[in-house]
Amino acid sequence: MRSAPRLLLLVAALIMWAVLPLFLARNLVDLLVFAGIFSIAGLGIGLLLGHCGIASLAQGMFYGLGAYASAYCSITFGAPAIVGFVIGLAVAAAIALLVGWPVLRLTGFFLALATLCLAVIGNAIFFEWDWLTGGSLGIGGIPKIQLFGFAFDTPGKYYYLVWILAFLCMRLGYQLVTSRNGLMMQAVRDSPDAALSLGIDIQAVRTRIFVLCSMFGSLAGSLFAHYTSFASVESFTIERSITFLLIPVIGGVSSVTGVIVGALFVIFVPELFSKLGDFHQILFGLALVFVVIVMPGGIVGAVRQLFAAGRRKAR
Amino acid sequence: MSGAILTIGGVGHSFAGLRVLQSVDIAVPRGGLVGLIGPNGSGKTTLFNIVTGYLKPDTGSIVYEARALDGVPIQARSRAGLVRTFQTPKIFEQMSVLENVMVGCCKATQTGFIGDLIRSRTSRHQFQVMKETAEQACEKFGLTQILYNEARNTTAGQRRILELARATVGKPKLLLLDEPSAGLTPQEIEQLKDWIRRFNGEGISVLLVSHDMGLMNVVTTVHVLYFGGIIATGGMAEIQKNARVREVYLGV
Repeated sequence: MRSAPRLLLLVAALIMWAVLPLFLARNLVDLLVFAGIFSIAGLGIGLLLGHCGIASLAQGMFYGLGAYASAYCSITFGAPAIVGFVIGLAVAAAIALLVGWPVLRLTGFFLALATLCLAVIGNAIFFEWDWLTGGSLGIGGIPKIQLFGFAFDTPGKYYYLVWILAFLCMRLGYQLVTSRNGLMMQAVRDSPDAALSLGIDIQAVRTRIFVLCSMFGSLAGSLFAHYTSFASVESFTIERSITFLLIPVIGGVSSVTGVIVGALFVIFVPELFSKLGDFHQILFGLALVFVVIVMPGGIVGAVRQLFAAGRRKAR
Repeated sequence: MSGAILTIGGVGHSFAGLRVLQSVDIAVPRGGLVGLIGPNGSGKTTLFNIVTGYLKPDTGSIVYEARALDGVPIQARSRAGLVRTFQTPKIFEQMSVLENVMVGCCKATQTGFIGDLIRSRTSRHQFQVMKETAEQACEKFGLTQILYNEARNTTAGQRRILELARATVGKPKLLLLDEPSAGLTPQEIEQLKDWIRRFNGEGISVLLVSHDMGLMNVVTTVHVLYFGGIIATGGMAEIQKNARVREVYLGV
Protein backbone atom coordinates (compact mmCIF):
# COMPACT_ATOMS: atom_id res chain seq x y z
CA MET A 1 0.00 0.00 0.00
CA ARG A 2 3.02 2.22 -0.30
CA SER A 3 2.43 3.12 -3.92
CA ALA A 4 -0.89 4.95 -3.39
CA PRO A 5 0.46 7.80 -1.21
CA ARG A 6 3.45 7.94 -3.49
CA LEU A 7 1.24 8.47 -6.54
CA LEU A 8 -0.72 11.11 -4.69
CA LEU A 9 2.48 12.92 -3.80
CA LEU A 10 3.64 12.77 -7.41
CA VAL A 11 0.35 14.18 -8.71
CA ALA A 12 0.44 16.96 -6.11
CA ALA A 13 4.02 17.83 -7.08
CA LEU A 14 3.05 17.85 -10.74
CA ILE A 15 0.11 20.18 -10.16
CA MET A 16 2.28 22.47 -8.10
CA TRP A 17 4.91 22.46 -10.81
CA ALA A 18 2.28 23.32 -13.44
CA VAL A 19 0.62 26.22 -11.59
CA LEU A 20 3.70 27.63 -9.90
CA PRO A 21 4.66 30.19 -12.57
CA LEU A 22 1.11 31.59 -12.56
CA PHE A 23 1.45 32.76 -8.96
CA LEU A 24 5.11 33.64 -8.65
CA ALA A 25 6.70 37.00 -9.31
CA ARG A 26 8.46 37.29 -12.65
CA ASN A 27 11.95 37.35 -11.15
CA LEU A 28 11.28 34.09 -9.29
CA VAL A 29 10.02 32.39 -12.46
CA ASP A 30 13.19 33.65 -14.07
CA LEU A 31 15.26 31.89 -11.41
CA LEU A 32 13.23 28.70 -11.82
CA VAL A 33 14.02 28.72 -15.54
CA PHE A 34 17.72 28.92 -14.72
CA ALA A 35 17.32 26.12 -12.19
CA GLY A 36 15.80 23.97 -14.94
CA ILE A 37 18.65 24.76 -17.32
CA PHE A 38 21.23 24.06 -14.62
CA SER A 39 19.63 20.80 -13.66
CA ILE A 40 20.08 19.51 -17.23
CA ALA A 41 23.79 20.37 -17.21
CA GLY A 42 24.11 19.06 -13.64
CA LEU A 43 22.38 15.82 -14.62
CA GLY A 44 25.21 15.01 -17.00
CA ILE A 45 27.77 15.55 -14.24
CA GLY A 46 25.61 13.59 -11.80
CA LEU A 47 25.52 10.55 -14.09
CA LEU A 48 29.30 10.78 -14.56
CA LEU A 49 30.07 11.23 -10.89
CA GLY A 50 27.42 9.09 -9.27
CA HIS A 51 27.31 6.17 -11.63
CA CYS A 52 30.71 6.17 -13.25
CA GLY A 53 32.92 7.73 -10.56
CA ILE A 54 34.26 10.49 -12.80
CA ALA A 55 34.48 14.05 -11.47
CA SER A 56 34.38 16.38 -14.46
CA LEU A 57 35.05 20.11 -14.37
CA ALA A 58 34.61 20.47 -18.12
CA GLN A 59 30.85 20.91 -18.23
CA GLY A 60 31.12 24.73 -18.44
CA MET A 61 32.92 24.30 -21.76
CA PHE A 62 30.23 22.06 -23.26
CA TYR A 63 27.61 24.47 -21.91
CA GLY A 64 29.37 27.32 -23.74
CA LEU A 65 29.67 25.21 -26.87
CA GLY A 66 25.90 24.71 -27.01
CA ALA A 67 25.26 28.39 -26.35
CA TYR A 68 27.63 29.58 -29.09
CA ALA A 69 26.32 27.00 -31.57
CA SER A 70 22.80 28.30 -31.02
CA ALA A 71 23.90 31.94 -31.07
CA TYR A 72 26.01 31.60 -34.23
CA CYS A 73 23.48 29.55 -36.20
CA SER A 74 20.55 31.80 -35.43
CA ILE A 75 22.39 35.12 -35.84
CA THR A 76 24.73 34.42 -38.79
CA PHE A 77 22.53 32.04 -40.79
CA GLY A 78 19.14 33.04 -39.43
CA ALA A 79 18.51 29.31 -38.97
CA PRO A 80 15.62 28.07 -36.83
CA ALA A 81 16.50 27.27 -33.21
CA ILE A 82 16.50 23.51 -33.72
CA VAL A 83 19.52 23.78 -36.06
CA GLY A 84 21.61 25.41 -33.35
CA PHE A 85 20.56 22.76 -30.85
CA VAL A 86 21.48 19.90 -33.18
CA ILE A 87 24.82 21.40 -34.23
CA GLY A 88 25.69 22.14 -30.60
CA LEU A 89 24.89 18.55 -29.60
CA ALA A 90 26.89 17.13 -32.51
CA VAL A 91 29.96 19.30 -31.88
CA ALA A 92 29.87 18.63 -28.14
CA ALA A 93 29.62 14.88 -28.73
CA ALA A 94 32.48 14.95 -31.25
CA ILE A 95 34.77 16.91 -28.92
CA ALA A 96 33.87 14.71 -25.94
CA LEU A 97 34.69 11.62 -27.99
CA LEU A 98 37.96 13.06 -29.28
CA VAL A 99 39.14 14.31 -25.89
CA GLY A 100 37.49 11.67 -23.74
CA TRP A 101 39.14 8.68 -25.39
CA PRO A 102 42.69 9.65 -24.31
CA VAL A 103 41.84 11.62 -21.16
CA LEU A 104 39.53 9.02 -19.59
CA ARG A 105 42.47 6.66 -19.13
CA LEU A 106 43.29 8.81 -16.12
CA THR A 107 41.46 8.33 -12.83
CA GLY A 108 40.65 10.29 -9.69
CA PHE A 109 42.36 13.62 -9.14
CA PHE A 110 44.38 13.40 -12.35
CA LEU A 111 41.22 13.03 -14.38
CA ALA A 112 39.57 15.91 -12.52
CA LEU A 113 42.63 18.07 -13.27
CA ALA A 114 42.56 17.08 -16.94
CA THR A 115 38.91 18.10 -17.21
CA LEU A 116 39.75 21.35 -15.42
CA CYS A 117 42.37 22.01 -18.12
CA LEU A 118 39.70 21.36 -20.71
CA ALA A 119 37.51 24.02 -19.14
CA VAL A 120 40.40 26.50 -19.05
CA ILE A 121 41.29 25.85 -22.70
CA GLY A 122 37.64 26.10 -23.69
CA ASN A 123 37.28 29.44 -21.97
CA ALA A 124 40.47 30.75 -23.64
CA ILE A 125 39.24 29.65 -27.06
CA PHE A 126 35.82 31.24 -26.49
CA PHE A 127 37.68 34.45 -25.72
CA GLU A 128 40.18 34.33 -28.59
CA TRP A 129 38.03 33.13 -31.49
CA ASP A 130 36.04 36.33 -31.70
CA TRP A 131 34.99 35.66 -35.32
CA LEU A 132 32.87 32.85 -33.94
CA THR A 133 32.02 33.88 -30.40
CA GLY A 134 32.23 37.64 -30.48
CA GLY A 135 35.11 37.48 -28.00
CA SER A 136 34.67 39.66 -24.95
CA LEU A 137 31.69 41.42 -26.55
CA GLY A 138 29.73 38.21 -26.92
CA ILE A 139 26.82 37.61 -29.27
CA GLY A 140 23.60 39.48 -28.57
CA GLY A 141 20.12 39.51 -30.05
CA ILE A 142 19.60 35.77 -30.14
CA PRO A 143 15.94 35.24 -31.06
CA LYS A 144 13.43 33.42 -28.85
CA ILE A 145 12.63 29.81 -29.69
CA GLN A 146 9.70 29.38 -32.08
CA LEU A 147 8.00 26.01 -32.36
CA PHE A 148 5.20 25.61 -34.94
CA GLY A 149 4.54 29.33 -34.82
CA PHE A 150 4.44 29.40 -31.03
CA ALA A 151 7.04 31.70 -29.48
CA PHE A 152 8.51 30.93 -26.07
CA ASP A 153 8.94 34.62 -25.38
CA THR A 154 8.11 35.00 -21.68
CA PRO A 155 9.76 33.42 -18.62
CA GLY A 156 6.46 31.65 -17.92
CA LYS A 157 6.35 29.94 -21.33
CA TYR A 158 10.06 29.17 -21.25
CA TYR A 159 9.64 27.63 -17.79
CA TYR A 160 7.45 24.86 -19.22
CA LEU A 161 9.78 24.22 -22.16
CA VAL A 162 12.90 24.00 -20.01
CA TRP A 163 11.40 21.85 -17.30
CA ILE A 164 9.72 19.42 -19.70
CA LEU A 165 13.10 18.95 -21.39
CA ALA A 166 14.75 18.56 -17.99
CA PHE A 167 12.25 15.88 -16.92
CA LEU A 168 12.75 14.13 -20.26
CA CYS A 169 16.53 14.10 -19.76
CA MET A 170 16.11 12.77 -16.23
CA ARG A 171 13.84 10.05 -17.55
CA LEU A 172 16.53 9.08 -20.08
CA GLY A 173 19.16 9.17 -17.36
CA TYR A 174 17.05 6.99 -15.10
CA GLN A 175 16.44 4.49 -17.89
CA LEU A 176 20.16 4.37 -18.59
CA VAL A 177 21.27 3.75 -15.01
CA THR A 178 18.72 0.96 -14.59
CA SER A 179 19.86 -0.84 -17.76
CA ARG A 180 22.67 -3.16 -18.76
CA ASN A 181 24.91 -0.22 -19.65
CA GLY A 182 24.03 1.35 -16.29
CA LEU A 183 25.19 -1.79 -14.49
CA MET A 184 28.45 -1.71 -16.41
CA MET A 185 28.95 1.96 -15.48
CA GLN A 186 28.45 1.22 -11.80
CA ALA A 187 30.76 -1.78 -11.99
CA VAL A 188 33.47 0.43 -13.47
CA ARG A 189 32.89 2.94 -10.66
CA ASP A 190 33.11 0.37 -7.85
CA SER A 191 36.03 -1.71 -9.13
CA PRO A 192 37.63 -1.16 -12.55
CA ASP A 193 39.81 -4.27 -12.10
CA ALA A 194 36.86 -6.54 -11.39
CA ALA A 195 34.89 -4.99 -14.27
CA LEU A 196 37.78 -5.80 -16.61
CA SER A 197 37.93 -9.36 -15.32
CA LEU A 198 34.25 -9.75 -16.25
CA GLY A 199 34.90 -8.69 -19.83
CA ILE A 200 33.78 -5.05 -19.60
CA ASP A 201 35.61 -2.57 -21.81
CA ILE A 202 35.93 0.16 -19.17
CA GLN A 203 37.38 2.67 -21.60
CA ALA A 204 34.36 2.38 -23.89
CA VAL A 205 31.93 2.59 -20.97
CA ARG A 206 33.59 5.74 -19.63
CA THR A 207 33.78 7.41 -23.04
CA ARG A 208 30.11 6.78 -23.87
CA ILE A 209 28.85 8.33 -20.65
CA PHE A 210 31.25 11.25 -21.05
CA VAL A 211 29.81 11.93 -24.51
CA LEU A 212 26.25 11.79 -23.16
CA CYS A 213 27.22 14.14 -20.31
CA SER A 214 28.67 16.66 -22.76
CA MET A 215 25.47 16.55 -24.80
CA PHE A 216 23.39 17.40 -21.74
CA GLY A 217 25.77 20.31 -21.17
CA SER A 218 25.36 21.52 -24.73
CA LEU A 219 21.56 21.25 -24.57
CA ALA A 220 21.55 23.36 -21.41
CA GLY A 221 23.83 25.91 -23.09
CA SER A 222 21.54 26.26 -26.11
CA LEU A 223 18.53 26.74 -23.82
CA PHE A 224 20.48 29.38 -21.89
CA ALA A 225 21.45 31.31 -25.03
CA HIS A 226 17.90 31.46 -26.38
CA TYR A 227 16.57 32.49 -22.98
CA THR A 228 18.93 35.34 -22.19
CA SER A 229 19.32 36.16 -25.92
CA PHE A 230 22.97 36.82 -25.12
CA ALA A 231 26.02 34.53 -25.10
CA SER A 232 29.12 35.93 -23.49
CA VAL A 233 32.39 34.38 -22.42
CA GLU A 234 31.63 35.50 -18.83
CA SER A 235 28.92 32.85 -18.60
CA PHE A 236 31.20 29.92 -19.45
CA THR A 237 34.00 30.23 -16.92
CA ILE A 238 35.51 27.75 -14.48
CA GLU A 239 33.07 28.96 -11.81
CA ARG A 240 30.21 27.73 -13.97
CA SER A 241 31.88 24.32 -14.27
CA ILE A 242 32.27 24.20 -10.51
CA THR A 243 28.61 25.12 -10.06
CA PHE A 244 27.62 22.23 -12.33
CA LEU A 245 29.79 19.86 -10.30
CA LEU A 246 28.20 21.13 -7.08
CA ILE A 247 24.66 20.44 -8.29
CA PRO A 248 24.81 16.61 -8.06
CA VAL A 249 27.06 16.76 -4.99
CA ILE A 250 24.52 18.88 -3.09
CA GLY A 251 21.46 17.09 -4.44
CA GLY A 252 22.86 13.61 -4.00
CA VAL A 253 24.59 11.57 -6.68
CA SER A 254 22.78 8.32 -5.98
CA SER A 255 19.48 9.67 -7.27
CA VAL A 256 18.84 11.01 -10.76
CA THR A 257 16.27 13.54 -9.53
CA GLY A 258 18.70 14.81 -6.89
CA VAL A 259 19.98 17.28 -9.47
CA ILE A 260 16.69 19.22 -9.19
CA VAL A 261 17.38 19.81 -5.50
CA GLY A 262 21.01 20.67 -6.25
CA ALA A 263 20.07 23.11 -9.02
CA LEU A 264 17.45 24.84 -6.84
CA PHE A 265 20.09 25.13 -4.11
CA VAL A 266 22.81 26.73 -6.24
CA ILE A 267 20.29 29.14 -7.80
CA PHE A 268 18.17 30.14 -4.80
CA VAL A 269 20.51 30.01 -1.82
CA PRO A 270 22.87 32.73 -3.13
CA GLU A 271 19.76 34.75 -4.04
CA LEU A 272 18.39 34.42 -0.49
CA PHE A 273 21.68 35.41 1.07
CA SER A 274 22.25 38.32 -1.32
CA LYS A 275 19.75 40.36 0.71
CA LEU A 276 22.07 40.07 3.67
CA GLY A 277 24.72 42.24 2.09
CA ASP A 278 28.40 41.74 1.49
CA PHE A 279 28.65 38.47 3.36
CA HIS A 280 26.48 36.48 0.99
CA GLN A 281 29.39 34.78 -0.78
CA ILE A 282 30.78 33.58 2.53
CA LEU A 283 27.36 32.44 3.69
CA PHE A 284 26.87 30.46 0.49
CA GLY A 285 30.28 28.88 1.01
CA LEU A 286 29.36 27.96 4.58
CA ALA A 287 26.03 26.49 3.46
CA LEU A 288 27.93 24.39 0.93
CA VAL A 289 30.41 23.11 3.46
CA PHE A 290 27.55 22.34 5.83
CA VAL A 291 25.67 20.26 3.24
CA VAL A 292 28.75 18.38 2.11
CA ILE A 293 29.90 17.52 5.64
CA VAL A 294 26.55 16.84 7.30
CA MET A 295 24.96 15.11 4.31
CA PRO A 296 27.56 13.06 2.46
CA GLY A 297 24.79 11.52 0.36
CA GLY A 298 23.50 14.96 -0.62
CA ILE A 299 20.15 16.40 0.41
CA VAL A 300 18.19 13.59 -1.25
CA GLY A 301 20.41 11.01 0.46
CA ALA A 302 19.79 12.64 3.85
CA VAL A 303 16.01 12.75 3.33
CA ARG A 304 16.01 9.08 2.32
CA GLN A 305 17.94 8.17 5.44
CA LEU A 306 15.45 10.10 7.53
CA PHE A 307 12.55 8.19 5.98
CA ALA A 308 14.32 4.87 6.42
CA ALA A 309 14.91 5.69 10.10
CA GLY A 310 11.25 6.66 10.49
CA ARG A 311 10.12 3.39 8.95
CA ARG A 312 12.36 1.42 11.30
CA LYS A 313 10.88 3.26 14.29
CA ALA A 314 7.31 2.68 13.10
CA ARG A 315 7.91 -1.07 12.97
CA MET B 1 50.36 -30.30 -25.73
CA SER B 2 47.23 -30.35 -27.86
CA GLY B 3 45.10 -31.24 -24.85
CA ALA B 4 46.08 -28.10 -22.93
CA ILE B 5 43.66 -25.19 -22.62
CA LEU B 6 46.41 -23.00 -21.15
CA THR B 7 50.14 -23.20 -21.66
CA ILE B 8 52.45 -20.92 -19.74
CA GLY B 9 55.76 -21.11 -21.59
CA GLY B 10 59.04 -19.79 -20.20
CA VAL B 11 57.46 -16.82 -18.44
CA GLY B 12 59.90 -14.52 -16.66
CA HIS B 13 59.26 -11.18 -14.98
CA SER B 14 61.14 -8.62 -12.92
CA PHE B 15 59.99 -5.66 -10.87
CA ALA B 16 62.63 -2.88 -10.95
CA GLY B 17 65.43 -5.38 -11.41
CA LEU B 18 64.12 -7.83 -8.84
CA ARG B 19 63.58 -11.16 -10.56
CA VAL B 20 60.16 -12.42 -9.50
CA LEU B 21 59.61 -15.15 -12.07
CA GLN B 22 62.23 -16.99 -14.07
CA SER B 23 61.16 -19.20 -16.93
CA VAL B 24 58.02 -20.77 -15.50
CA ASP B 25 56.33 -23.55 -17.51
CA ILE B 26 52.87 -24.76 -16.51
CA ALA B 27 50.17 -26.42 -18.57
CA VAL B 28 46.51 -26.73 -17.65
CA PRO B 29 44.86 -29.61 -19.51
CA ARG B 30 41.37 -29.11 -20.91
CA GLY B 31 38.97 -29.94 -18.10
CA GLY B 32 41.90 -30.19 -15.70
CA LEU B 33 42.18 -29.18 -12.09
CA VAL B 34 45.65 -27.80 -11.51
CA GLY B 35 47.09 -26.24 -8.38
CA LEU B 36 49.93 -23.83 -7.80
CA ILE B 37 51.43 -23.56 -4.34
CA GLY B 38 54.33 -21.63 -2.97
CA PRO B 39 55.28 -19.55 0.05
CA ASN B 40 54.48 -15.84 0.28
CA GLY B 41 56.39 -13.79 -2.26
CA SER B 42 57.13 -16.73 -4.51
CA GLY B 43 55.46 -15.02 -7.48
CA LYS B 44 52.08 -16.76 -7.57
CA THR B 45 49.95 -13.66 -7.91
CA THR B 46 52.39 -12.12 -10.39
CA LEU B 47 52.01 -15.19 -12.57
CA PHE B 48 48.25 -14.87 -12.24
CA ASN B 49 48.34 -11.23 -13.28
CA ILE B 50 50.41 -12.17 -16.31
CA VAL B 51 48.05 -14.94 -17.40
CA THR B 52 44.97 -12.73 -17.04
CA GLY B 53 46.57 -9.74 -18.76
CA TYR B 54 46.99 -7.32 -15.84
CA LEU B 55 50.77 -7.51 -16.36
CA LYS B 56 52.90 -7.95 -19.47
CA PRO B 57 55.63 -10.60 -19.01
CA ASP B 58 59.24 -9.66 -19.77
CA THR B 59 59.83 -13.00 -21.47
CA GLY B 60 57.84 -16.05 -22.43
CA SER B 61 54.32 -16.48 -23.72
CA ILE B 62 50.81 -17.44 -22.66
CA VAL B 63 48.93 -19.68 -25.06
CA TYR B 64 45.21 -20.08 -24.44
CA GLU B 65 43.02 -22.23 -26.68
CA ALA B 66 45.93 -22.57 -29.13
CA ARG B 67 46.15 -18.78 -29.44
CA ALA B 68 49.02 -16.61 -28.18
CA LEU B 69 47.68 -13.93 -25.83
CA ASP B 70 50.43 -11.33 -26.38
CA GLY B 71 48.82 -7.89 -26.42
CA VAL B 72 45.30 -9.22 -25.88
CA PRO B 73 43.57 -6.93 -23.33
CA ILE B 74 42.08 -8.22 -20.07
CA GLN B 75 38.47 -7.81 -21.11
CA ALA B 76 39.05 -9.72 -24.37
CA ARG B 77 40.64 -12.59 -22.41
CA SER B 78 37.62 -12.63 -20.13
CA ARG B 79 35.25 -12.67 -23.09
CA ALA B 80 37.21 -15.62 -24.50
CA GLY B 81 36.44 -17.49 -21.28
CA LEU B 82 39.55 -16.89 -19.19
CA VAL B 83 38.21 -15.49 -15.91
CA ARG B 84 39.87 -14.84 -12.57
CA THR B 85 38.96 -14.05 -9.00
CA PHE B 86 41.07 -11.89 -6.72
CA GLN B 87 43.10 -12.62 -3.61
CA THR B 88 41.02 -9.97 -1.81
CA PRO B 89 37.55 -10.26 -3.35
CA LYS B 90 36.86 -7.24 -5.54
CA ILE B 91 33.12 -6.92 -5.41
CA PHE B 92 31.03 -3.95 -6.50
CA GLU B 93 30.46 -2.51 -3.04
CA GLN B 94 27.65 -0.06 -3.75
CA MET B 95 25.61 -2.48 -5.81
CA SER B 96 23.28 -5.22 -4.57
CA VAL B 97 24.30 -8.87 -4.52
CA LEU B 98 22.00 -9.58 -7.46
CA GLU B 99 23.40 -6.64 -9.45
CA ASN B 100 26.93 -7.88 -8.78
CA VAL B 101 26.08 -11.21 -10.36
CA MET B 102 24.21 -9.49 -13.19
CA VAL B 103 27.41 -7.65 -14.13
CA GLY B 104 28.91 -11.09 -14.69
CA CYS B 105 26.22 -11.65 -17.35
CA CYS B 106 27.10 -8.48 -19.27
CA LYS B 107 29.54 -10.14 -21.62
CA ALA B 108 27.02 -12.78 -22.62
CA THR B 109 24.40 -10.17 -23.54
CA GLN B 110 24.38 -7.27 -25.97
CA THR B 111 22.56 -3.94 -25.80
CA GLY B 112 23.31 -0.58 -27.42
CA PHE B 113 23.92 2.52 -25.34
CA ILE B 114 21.14 4.41 -27.13
CA GLY B 115 18.81 1.43 -26.85
CA ASP B 116 19.40 1.40 -23.10
CA LEU B 117 18.89 5.17 -22.93
CA ILE B 118 15.44 4.99 -24.55
CA ARG B 119 14.72 1.58 -22.96
CA SER B 120 14.10 -0.24 -26.22
CA ARG B 121 12.51 -3.69 -26.38
CA THR B 122 15.90 -5.36 -26.82
CA SER B 123 17.22 -3.43 -23.84
CA ARG B 124 14.35 -4.54 -21.59
CA HIS B 125 14.50 -8.10 -22.85
CA GLN B 126 18.26 -8.48 -22.35
CA PHE B 127 18.03 -6.94 -18.88
CA GLN B 128 15.34 -9.47 -17.98
CA VAL B 129 17.53 -12.30 -19.31
CA MET B 130 20.45 -11.07 -17.21
CA LYS B 131 18.26 -10.80 -14.14
CA GLU B 132 16.85 -14.31 -14.50
CA THR B 133 20.27 -15.83 -15.19
CA ALA B 134 21.72 -14.04 -12.17
CA GLU B 135 18.81 -15.08 -9.93
CA GLN B 136 19.34 -18.70 -10.89
CA ALA B 137 23.04 -18.43 -10.18
CA CYS B 138 22.34 -16.82 -6.79
CA GLU B 139 19.95 -19.62 -5.94
CA LYS B 140 22.56 -22.19 -6.92
CA PHE B 141 25.11 -20.52 -4.67
CA GLY B 142 22.71 -20.01 -1.77
CA LEU B 143 22.68 -16.21 -2.03
CA THR B 144 18.89 -15.91 -2.37
CA GLN B 145 18.47 -14.65 1.20
CA ILE B 146 20.70 -11.63 0.57
CA LEU B 147 19.77 -10.94 -3.06
CA TYR B 148 18.90 -7.27 -2.49
CA ASN B 149 21.44 -6.53 0.23
CA GLU B 150 24.14 -4.06 -0.61
CA ALA B 151 27.31 -5.98 -1.35
CA ARG B 152 29.35 -3.89 1.11
CA ASN B 153 27.32 -5.36 3.99
CA THR B 154 28.19 -8.99 3.22
CA THR B 155 30.54 -11.21 5.24
CA ALA B 156 33.97 -12.36 4.10
CA GLY B 157 32.57 -15.79 3.21
CA GLN B 158 29.67 -14.32 1.26
CA ARG B 159 32.11 -12.11 -0.64
CA ARG B 160 34.07 -15.16 -1.80
CA ILE B 161 30.92 -16.95 -2.87
CA LEU B 162 29.60 -13.81 -4.55
CA GLU B 163 32.81 -13.43 -6.51
CA LEU B 164 32.64 -17.08 -7.58
CA ALA B 165 29.00 -16.73 -8.63
CA ARG B 166 29.84 -13.58 -10.58
CA ALA B 167 32.82 -15.21 -12.30
CA THR B 168 31.04 -18.44 -13.25
CA VAL B 169 27.71 -16.97 -14.38
CA GLY B 170 29.45 -15.85 -17.58
CA LYS B 171 30.30 -19.48 -18.40
CA PRO B 172 34.11 -19.38 -18.30
CA LYS B 173 36.23 -22.11 -19.87
CA LEU B 174 39.16 -21.59 -17.56
CA LEU B 175 38.72 -20.28 -14.04
CA LEU B 176 41.71 -18.90 -12.17
CA LEU B 177 41.21 -18.74 -8.43
CA ASP B 178 43.67 -16.67 -6.40
CA GLU B 179 43.80 -17.77 -2.73
CA PRO B 180 40.05 -18.44 -2.60
CA SER B 181 40.14 -19.84 0.93
CA ALA B 182 41.77 -16.83 2.63
CA GLY B 183 39.58 -15.55 5.46
CA LEU B 184 37.12 -18.46 5.34
CA THR B 185 35.99 -20.72 8.18
CA PRO B 186 36.80 -24.48 7.95
CA GLN B 187 33.16 -25.23 7.01
CA GLU B 188 33.27 -22.60 4.30
CA ILE B 189 36.50 -24.10 2.96
CA GLU B 190 34.81 -27.51 2.70
CA GLN B 191 31.96 -25.85 0.82
CA LEU B 192 34.46 -24.12 -1.44
CA LYS B 193 36.06 -27.47 -2.27
CA ASP B 194 32.65 -28.80 -3.28
CA TRP B 195 32.16 -25.80 -5.52
CA ILE B 196 35.52 -26.25 -7.20
CA ARG B 197 34.76 -29.94 -7.85
CA ARG B 198 31.37 -28.98 -9.20
CA PHE B 199 32.77 -26.37 -11.60
CA ASN B 200 35.27 -28.92 -12.81
CA GLY B 201 32.49 -31.45 -13.26
CA GLU B 202 30.67 -28.91 -15.42
CA GLY B 203 33.69 -28.85 -17.75
CA ILE B 204 35.42 -25.72 -16.46
CA SER B 205 39.20 -26.06 -16.25
CA VAL B 206 40.58 -24.65 -13.00
CA LEU B 207 43.92 -23.21 -12.02
CA LEU B 208 43.98 -22.81 -8.27
CA VAL B 209 46.56 -20.75 -6.43
CA SER B 210 46.82 -21.18 -2.68
CA HIS B 211 49.09 -22.02 0.16
CA ASP B 212 46.27 -23.76 1.96
CA MET B 213 47.30 -27.44 1.85
CA GLY B 214 43.84 -28.58 2.95
CA LEU B 215 42.21 -26.89 -0.01
CA MET B 216 44.87 -28.20 -2.38
CA ASN B 217 43.59 -31.74 -1.88
CA VAL B 218 41.00 -31.10 -4.58
CA VAL B 219 43.49 -30.75 -7.43
CA THR B 220 45.02 -33.53 -9.49
CA THR B 221 48.34 -31.89 -10.29
CA VAL B 222 50.29 -29.44 -8.16
CA HIS B 223 53.12 -27.17 -9.22
CA VAL B 224 55.34 -25.78 -6.50
CA LEU B 225 56.66 -22.28 -7.10
CA TYR B 226 59.66 -21.15 -5.08
CA PHE B 227 61.48 -17.86 -5.67
CA GLY B 228 60.21 -17.57 -9.21
CA GLY B 229 60.87 -21.11 -10.37
CA ILE B 230 58.93 -24.36 -10.41
CA ILE B 231 60.76 -26.78 -8.11
CA ALA B 232 58.35 -29.71 -8.20
CA THR B 233 55.33 -31.01 -10.09
CA GLY B 234 53.06 -33.94 -9.35
CA GLY B 235 50.14 -35.26 -7.33
CA MET B 236 49.53 -33.84 -3.86
CA ALA B 237 50.72 -37.01 -2.06
CA GLU B 238 53.84 -37.13 -4.17
CA ILE B 239 54.58 -33.46 -3.53
CA GLN B 240 54.21 -33.82 0.20
CA LYS B 241 56.88 -36.54 0.17
CA ASN B 242 59.27 -34.51 -1.99
CA ALA B 243 62.32 -33.69 0.15
CA ARG B 244 63.08 -30.37 -1.52
CA VAL B 245 59.49 -29.18 -1.13
CA ARG B 246 59.45 -30.20 2.53
CA GLU B 247 62.65 -28.28 3.06
CA VAL B 248 61.71 -24.98 1.40
CA TYR B 249 58.00 -24.95 1.85
CA LEU B 250 56.90 -26.98 4.81
CA GLY B 251 59.99 -26.03 6.77
CA VAL B 252 60.87 -29.58 7.83
